[in-house]
Amino acid sequence: MKRSTLVNILFLAPCVFAFIMNIIIPFGFGLYYSMTDWNGVKTSANFVGMRNFAGLFSSPDFIYSFLITIFYTAINIVLVNAVSFALSLIVTSKFRFRNFLRAGFFIPYLIGGIVLGYIWQFILNNAIVAIGNSLSIGFLKSSLLGKPNTVIWIMSLVNTWQYSGYIMLIYVAAIQGIPASLMEAAEVDGAGYFSRTFKILVPMMANAFTISLFLTLTTSFKQFDMNFTLTNGGPATRFMDTPIKASQLLAMNIFNTATANRMAEAQAKAVVLFVALVLVALFQVAYNKKKEVEL
Amino acid sequence: MKKTFFRFAVVGTALILVLAISGCTKKPEQAKNVEVTMFQLKVEIKDAIDAYAASYSAAHPGVTVKVESLGGGGDYGGALKAKAQAGQMPDIIQIEGLGGYKIWQEYIADLSNQPWVKDTDLALKVDGKVVGFPVAIEGYGLAYNAEILAKAGIDPASLTTRAAYEKALSTLNAKKKELGINAPVAMAASVAGGMWWVAAQHNLACYWGGGLAFDDTSIIEKALKGELDDARFQQYAKYLQLLFKYADQNILLNGSYDDQVGSFAQGKTAFLHQGNWVDPNLQQLGVSFKIGYAPHAFLDTEEKGLYLFAPSWYCVNAKSPNAEAAKAFLASMAGTQEGHDYMVNKAGMIPAFKSVTLKPAGQLSQALMAANARGGNYGVFFGMLPDGAGQNLFGPIFDLFAQNQNDLPRFINDMKKAVADLPKM
Repeated sequence: MKRSTLVNILFLAPCVFAFIMNIIIPFGFGLYYSMTDWNGVKTSANFVGMRNFAGLFSSPDFIYSFLITIFYTAINIVLVNAVSFALSLIVTSKFRFRNFLRAGFFIPYLIGGIVLGYIWQFILNNAIVAIGNSLSIGFLKSSLLGKPNTVIWIMSLVNTWQYSGYIMLIYVAAIQGIPASLMEAAEVDGAGYFSRTFKILVPMMANAFTISLFLTLTTSFKQFDMNFTLTNGGPATRFMDTPIKASQLLAMNIFNTATANRMAEAQAKAVVLFVALVLVALFQVAYNKKKEVEL
Repeated sequence: MKKTFFRFAVVGTALILVLAISGCTKKPEQAKNVEVTMFQLKVEIKDAIDAYAASYSAAHPGVTVKVESLGGGGDYGGALKAKAQAGQMPDIIQIEGLGGYKIWQEYIADLSNQPWVKDTDLALKVDGKVVGFPVAIEGYGLAYNAEILAKAGIDPASLTTRAAYEKALSTLNAKKKELGINAPVAMAASVAGGMWWVAAQHNLACYWGGGLAFDDTSIIEKALKGELDDARFQQYAKYLQLLFKYADQNILLNGSYDDQVGSFAQGKTAFLHQGNWVDPNLQQLGVSFKIGYAPHAFLDTEEKGLYLFAPSWYCVNAKSPNAEAAKAFLASMAGTQEGHDYMVNKAGMIPAFKSVTLKPAGQLSQALMAANARGGNYGVFFGMLPDGAGQNLFGPIFDLFAQNQNDLPRFINDMKKAVADLPKM
């Protein structure tokens, strides 16, 4: 017994060591630097308490980034999950090309966010505008990325295009894990397609919803790469009577603060992002867990 | 069983210790060979500077110069910070003004006694000390396509007031079909295209320095205290509105650098709001028409000068043991025929040193050199603004004005508020 404890500790040690060095210590440093005036280079940093945090919630660009990130996350959760659930239903039906489609829907996920952002930027700024011009369709004549009111929706669409194939796979796995006898029994009892789907399939795969919602929530909240290449935060819009960037999500706001050599302030924003994300994610997982059914 | 385990444990620990120790002991460095590392941000001259460093290393036994380039879309400042934190601070770094100096001042060496200091007016000076080697002279005005202007019957020499521009631009606009252009001006202001700097940095620099003596910083110093010169800014805003109004709207609101430069190179626009750094791009795009620079004349009174500045400076890492070798490398760049040949012919830059007699090949660079020789040019002072002011504060204001071009009072009001916030940044 004693020996196995020692062995356990030894086997765990590399992992714990890596975890402490890579996660715990940098996290502590991050918290510390968010309360200093460090600029990223100076060898000394002065402790300034909560000053960096105090200014955040009175600066229009940060409040806007915070709100627009929540809005973006909300539409993303709905869009991505609705689309990927629909896709998973298609590719688990007796449809002839289902294996081909499974691979096809998954491919966008394999394209990196940076590349994908540039490709869609070209499509939206050039290809669609050219189509709009040649067919004289008014609202397509200028880029959809140039309109402050539509840009978040466009970003969400692009994200859905990229991400729903991945979430679809999770749903497919869950659907395949449901005993076929259950569905057959329901069919024999005269349940139609929709009642079978929503009364049996959906409750049975509630754990897949928990994980999918969690994944879409966290990735949307932390969205950066596609935001950076697709819109770069633009166009500008007016918020609290101050011109700010209409599609600057929280992660990009942090990045832009950091690149302007305001490292400590950026760190404070990152701490706020962390706390917000943890709170929302905990709430979401706790809520979804309640809905899961034990088989 | 217990014994076996302990044997393993002992051997394992010993192995880890051996590895750790061998990792720590470094081979004794050879004192003779000095390796100077340089980290620079002009990616467009990467090949030229790599070749020059290689030939310098070959000509100076015992010294090897290694150059690493990161820029364009890359985050040079972030990468340099990472290097500094990792203890791999390069011997020569590049900074873009006083903002950069303030961040890196612990590292930056005093270069006052270097031979090239007497040879230039554009060295970076702080408190009377020379701290930066000017990388080049860059500059801009409003570049024009001489053929299109000639066809439209406009004399570029007459473009010295805002009224003259207004007339010329409306003429061009009326003859768009006949001239085969989409719009008179290729201008960019979009945050989305990453082009905020054209409007919110370079064009705004007209307000900071236009029409004043070359080293007159009174307007920007006033702004750093939070005040805008109302009468002057009113004239500037009208000029900006004029450029926006006659610009290709898709490029203005959403275009990238390539879109902007490309439309001018293809003869789809008559004016281009860019500096002489577009020369290599224009050459690549096979431009054969004649190009010149007209002044950004935004005042009611006449202005004839272009905007000239050293966009960046090389600094030597004072904490490096190779600082002397690094200084010698820079001195040879400024003082030898090979160095001049590299700067002018290979890298296509306009050197900031008076002893250089070579002429650059690009049309816009030649126009700048001519203006420099003629004198009466204006300084560019956006480097004095706090970090991030251009991108995060002014950028969205200019983008929004480009979207709502008729709302001049709102733009002026936004700028007033933003400038009032400057002292707090």
